[in-house]
Amino acid sequence: MPFINQLYALSKRNVILRYKHSLIGFLWGFIKPFIYLLIFIVIFSAQFSSVKNYVLYATSGILFWFFFSNIVSQGIQSIIQASGIIKSVKLPALLFPMAEVTTELFNLALALMVYFIVMHWFGMVYTVNLIWLIPVLFIFSVFSFSIAILMAAFNVYFRDIGILWNTIQPAIFYLTPIAYTEDLIPEKFSWVIRLNPVYYFIKLFRYPLYDAAAPDMRLFIQCTGISALALCISLLIFYRLKNQFITAI
Amino acid sequence: MSVLLDLQHVSVRYRSNPAGIFSVKDLLTTMAHPFQTKEILNDISFTLQQGESLGIVGRNGSGKSTLLRTIAGIIKPSKGQLTTNGSIAPILALGAGLEQELTGYENIRLLLSLYGRKINASSVEKIAAFSELDDTTLRQAVKCYSSGMLARLTFSISFSQHCDIFIIDEVLAVGDMGFQAKCMQKISDLKKDGRSVIFVSHFPDEVEKICENAILLEQGKLIYQGSSSAVCQEYKNLF
Repeated sequence: MPFINQLYALSKRNVILRYKHSLIGFLWGFIKPFIYLLIFIVIFSAQFSSVKNYVLYATSGILFWFFFSNIVSQGIQSIIQASGIIKSVKLPALLFPMAEVTTELFNLALALMVYFIVMHWFGMVYTVNLIWLIPVLFIFSVFSFSIAILMAAFNVYFRDIGILWNTIQPAIFYLTPIAYTEDLIPEKFSWVIRLNPVYYFIKLFRYPLYDAAAPDMRLFIQCTGISALALCISLLIFYRLKNQFITAI
Repeated sequence: MSVLLDLQHVSVRYRSNPAGIFSVKDLLTTMAHPFQTKEILNDISFTLQQGESLGIVGRNGSGKSTLLRTIAGIIKPSKGQLTTNGSIAPILALGAGLEQELTGYENIRLLLSLYGRKINASSVEKIAAFSELDDTTLRQAVKCYSSGMLARLTFSISFSQHCDIFIIDEVLAVGDMGFQAKCMQKISDLKKDGRSVIFVSHFPDEVEKICENAILLEQGKLIYQGSSSAVCQEYKNLF
């Protein structure tokens, strides 16, 4: 399967390139979420003393937020950065954002291994329901991929998209109940949160990871719907825009 | 003798930005329409036989590279028909597709997988041997390479492919004499083997040496077609 080999080769390149010339290499991938966690503990844990196992609660959100935001940030740049390859080898343009997803899946797998060990001391319960992580992660990857290709396609023509993403990323982060709990939001503003698709996925991840329960089926189906819809729309737009990529990169 | 490549009235259009409008400020101050459709290739027709080698000559910006990309399937023609019967090796341009930060070895492996080839120790070994770059060099990041070394690496990677058509976009010029001779030898071996070569160069002598036939491009149009010596004469007359 040449496609799998190509995807593997590009993902491997991403992993090598990301921490090239850095002293501690892939450890940076752990340090970033860890610093956020420390900030949350310092600022919020007194505030949320009522939240059971706050560290576990916050970490289960942070990990998947960074998974999403890294895919989008790197996916946006992936096509314009590959201009040399795209101009000389016949390859589907979707391969490049896809390789960012597999790269992040690899990083997440490393992070989850550490997480599963460390979270033992923060009240994590290991149950069969953890299996649910796999399908949930799959639909979340599809969603992240969709957002990435949509923005990547526009970013080829208008580099504002990359800048826009960096600008709105913190806003979306704080609009997602990652460091705080949902009930903190006043009733009249709860619709704002509900407009944010990431919110549903983070909530879904917390069923197996935080509550040690099977996910709410209705929510699971909703998330699958969001992913499928996002993928269809993004692919449609991507295919309309990709014919002129080569003139713009 | 079978026809490997057949172009019938191929045109390629780009949306270009002739007024140089890259921001809202530019748009407001020039008040021009930002995009115009520009014809890069206009009604190109030619065929390539098995074992034939075809030279492409023309001024800078006459559409040579666009033509090569169209042949390789990277750009879709907006008009006309392009038929290929056979596999096409990736375009050989200086440093094309190489990742600057990766080492020579890493680049060999990356490009081979992107071309859809199997990688094993012997294929990498063969490429390294053909390039005549030593082990220390190949362990260095490609960004430290001289242009001659880049040419050696790209040439070696592309020539390791088993393809019917090889596309060579001016890389010979930067290699040293020894390597140029080696590449010429390789090209004539390929031709004896029944493979076809499309060769772009600004050196008419090279084109005459390598190719039997050639085409001359001028502003995206094919203005002259024939034996390479006639086309090269025509090309020299342009200046």
